[in-house]
Amino acid sequence: MVVLETKDLSYSYPDGTLALEDINIKIEKGKKIAFVGRNGSGKSTLFMALNGTHRPQKGQVLYHGEPLRYDSKSLREVRKNVGIVFQNSDDQIFAPTIYQDVAFGPINLGYPKEKVEKIVTDTLEYVGLTPLKNKPPHHLSGGQKKRVAIAGIVAMDPEIIILDEPLSNLDPVGADEVMDLLNELNYFGKTIIISTHDVDLAYSWADYVFLMNNRRVISEGVPEDIFRQTENLKAAYLRRPVTLEIYEEIKKRGLAKIKSCPRDIPDLVQTLRSQHLMWVDVPPEVEVGDTINLGILYGEYAMDSTYEAINCRVLHIHEEGLAIVEMDRKALRAGSIGIYDTSRYSHDELMRIIKRDGIECVGAMGKKSKLIAEEDDIYVHVTSGVIDRSILNALSGQRCLILTHDGMVEHALDRIRGYMEKSGINIPVSVANPLLEK
Amino acid sequence: MVNILDDYALMSPLRYRNNWLKLSIVTFGILTGVSSTSPFTPLLIALCMGFATVYFGRIPFKFYLKLLALPAGFVLTSAVIIAFFFGTGDILFSFDVSGYTLAVKSGGLNMALLVLSRTIGGMSCLFFLSLTTPMVELFAVLKATHFPDSFVEIAMMMYRYIFVFLEVAMGIRYAQTVRLGYRDFRTSFRSLVMLGTNLFIRSWEQGEKLYLSMNSRCYDGKMILLEEKRPVRMPEVLLTCSYFALVLSVFYLTRGITLI
Repeated sequence: MVVLETKDLSYSYPDGTLALEDINIKIEKGKKIAFVGRNGSGKSTLFMALNGTHRPQKGQVLYHGEPLRYDSKSLREVRKNVGIVFQNSDDQIFAPTIYQDVAFGPINLGYPKEKVEKIVTDTLEYVGLTPLKNKPPHHLSGGQKKRVAIAGIVAMDPEIIILDEPLSNLDPVGADEVMDLLNELNYFGKTIIISTHDVDLAYSWADYVFLMNNRRVISEGVPEDIFRQTENLKAAYLRRPVTLEIYEEIKKRGLAKIKSCPRDIPDLVQTLRSQHLMWVDVPPEVEVGDTINLGILYGEYAMDSTYEAINCRVLHIHEEGLAIVEMDRKALRAGSIGIYDTSRYSHDELMRIIKRDGIECVGAMGKKSKLIAEEDDIYVHVTSGVIDRSILNALSGQRCLILTHDGMVEHALDRIRGYMEKSGINIPVSVANPLLEK
Repeated sequence: MVNILDDYALMSPLRYRNNWLKLSIVTFGILTGVSSTSPFTPLLIALCMGFATVYFGRIPFKFYLKLLALPAGFVLTSAVIIAFFFGTGDILFSFDVSGYTLAVKSGGLNMALLVLSRTIGGMSCLFFLSLTTPMVELFAVLKATHFPDSFVEIAMMMYRYIFVFLEVAMGIRYAQTVRLGYRDFRTSFRSLVMLGTNLFIRSWEQGEKLYLSMNSRCYDGKMILLEEKRPVRMPEVLLTCSYFALVLSVFYLTRGITLI
C-alpha cells in the first residue's frame, strides 16, 4: 500500500533558488526507506514538502492517495501522521525539560491531561529515558538528545516517521542505539524514512533506496540493485558500500561465490567458498580424486574451535606420502542462539540459563535490556549489531544468548530464521525463557 | 563548563520539594530580615538558610562560601562607608586625613552592622531559592500565579536557548582565540563585534527553525505546562513552622537591641 506519493513535484525557495525538480516517488507502508545523496542534493527540502511545510509550486503530494490541502486543519492531520525528526536536535527540543518536550506534541493534539501523561511516560520508558525526564536538554549527550527528539515525534503516534540525517554527530554506540530504536519502531509497523549520505548504512539497513542528486531523484530500487550501479553512484558523488567493495575484491581472487550480493557481515561470510586446502600425510594407496576422512582437527589446525574434517578430496599427491586435500569444515559442536525475553526478567533465572546452557557470548539489544544488564552487572560481550554478531559467533561454534524484550524477540527470531533459510545452515535457536501457559 | 547556579539547583535534592513551601520560606526570611531592627534576626536567618542550603540542598560548602563572598565584598565596603559617614552619637574612634577628621560614631556603626546583617540574610534567602529551585520549577509557579501564558512560554524558550547560544558563543570565542582574535585591544574589539553579529544572525535563524519544528508537531499557539504535584510532608511543615517560630521569637526579643 502506498502511503505517501509525490507527482511531478517541483519546489523553489522564495528567493527563486530551485530546490526540487520533478520528483516522483511512492512510499510503501511499513518499509524502511533511505534517501541517499550528498549534502545539498535536496533531501531535507523534500522532507519539508512531504509534511506540508513547503508548498510546491508545481505538482502535488498525495497522502493515502489524497492530494495535500494546505488549510490549517488538513495540515494538522498530515503533520500528526508524518512526523519529522530534524537533523539538529537543538532545533527541535525547545522545552526546558525532557518531559515537557515530549508532551508538546500530544498536548497539541488536544488530548486530555491523563492521556498525555500516560503517553509521555510510556514513550520515555520506550526510548529508555525515564531516569532523565526532569533534566533540561543541555545536560544530555548527543545520542540522548536524538532519542528525546525521536520520542517527541513517537509520542504523536505518526504513521510515517521521517528522520533527517539521524546519525550525524553521533558516536558509534549512540548511532547503534538510534538504529535499534528505528528498527524496533519499524517492526511495529511504522514506515521509517531517513536521509543519509552514509552508503554503508543505507545499503545494510534500507528496504528501498532513492538516490538523489542535484534536486532530482536519479535512481530508485532495492539496495542490492542501486548500489551496484557504479555509474549512478558516481553521478551522485557517492561510493560503493564497504561490504560490497570487500566482496568484489575477494570474488576477483576466486575466494567467494559469484552472483551474490552480501548486505551484512553474515551474508559476506556466507559468500566465502568453504574451501580449505591443507597438506596432510596420506597412506601410499591413496590416489588423486579419492575422498578420505581426517577425523577431528584441533590445536594448531583449528585455532577458534575444533572441527570435524570428513569427506576431504585429495587434489594432489606429493612425494613422501604428502598430499594436498580440499576439505569442508564442519563445526564439531554446533553453536546455538538463545533469546532471553527481559520483559520477564529475573536475575537468578538468567544466571541459571547462562550456566545451564554454557553460554559464552551474551548480547544485549534494545535500551531496556542494556539498562537491565548494566544495573545488575551482567557482563555483555556484544552491544551493537547483536543479531549479526550472534549469528557469526554461532557459526563458529559458540553458544550465544541475546537479551531483548517484547516484540524484539520475534524480530530476532525472524532475522535468524531468515538467515538460516538464505544460507541453508541450521543454527539451533530458541527462546530461553518462553512464556509458560498457565 | 562554567558554574551556573541553575545546574546546582537541578542536582539538589531539595528540587523535588514543594515549590510553594520553598517560596514562602524565602519570602518570610526576606520580609522578617528587612523589617528587623536588630542585626540578630537577619544573622539567624542567614545561618538557618545557609545550613539548609548546604546540608539539605547538598551544595558544596566551599562553593557556597565563594558565592556568598561576592555580595559580602560589596556589602563590607558599603558598611565601612556607612560607618564613617552616617549616624550620630558617641565618637568611637577617629583619625585625621590631611586636616579632615574621619570618625566612626556609635549610631553609624550600628547602622552599618544592621545593613550588613540584613544584606547577608537576604542574600542567603535568595541563594537558598536559586540553589534549590531551578528555573524549570519556577515556570510552573509563574504559570500557577496566572502570569500571561505568552510571557511564560517565551521565558521557557528563552531559558532553553540561552544554553544553546551559550555553547555557540563559547565555540565561536574559542575559534577566535585560537586564531589570535583576542591578541590586543583592537582585535579583541573586532572579534567581539563579529561574535555579537554572528550570534544575532544565528538566533534569528534558530527562531525560524524553531517555528518550523514546532509547526511539524502541530503547534497551535498553546503550550500547557504540567506541574508535578509535590505534596508538603509533615516533617517539612514541622521544620518550617519551628523555624518560623524561632525567627519570630528572636525578632520579638531582640527588637531595638543594638550591639553597641
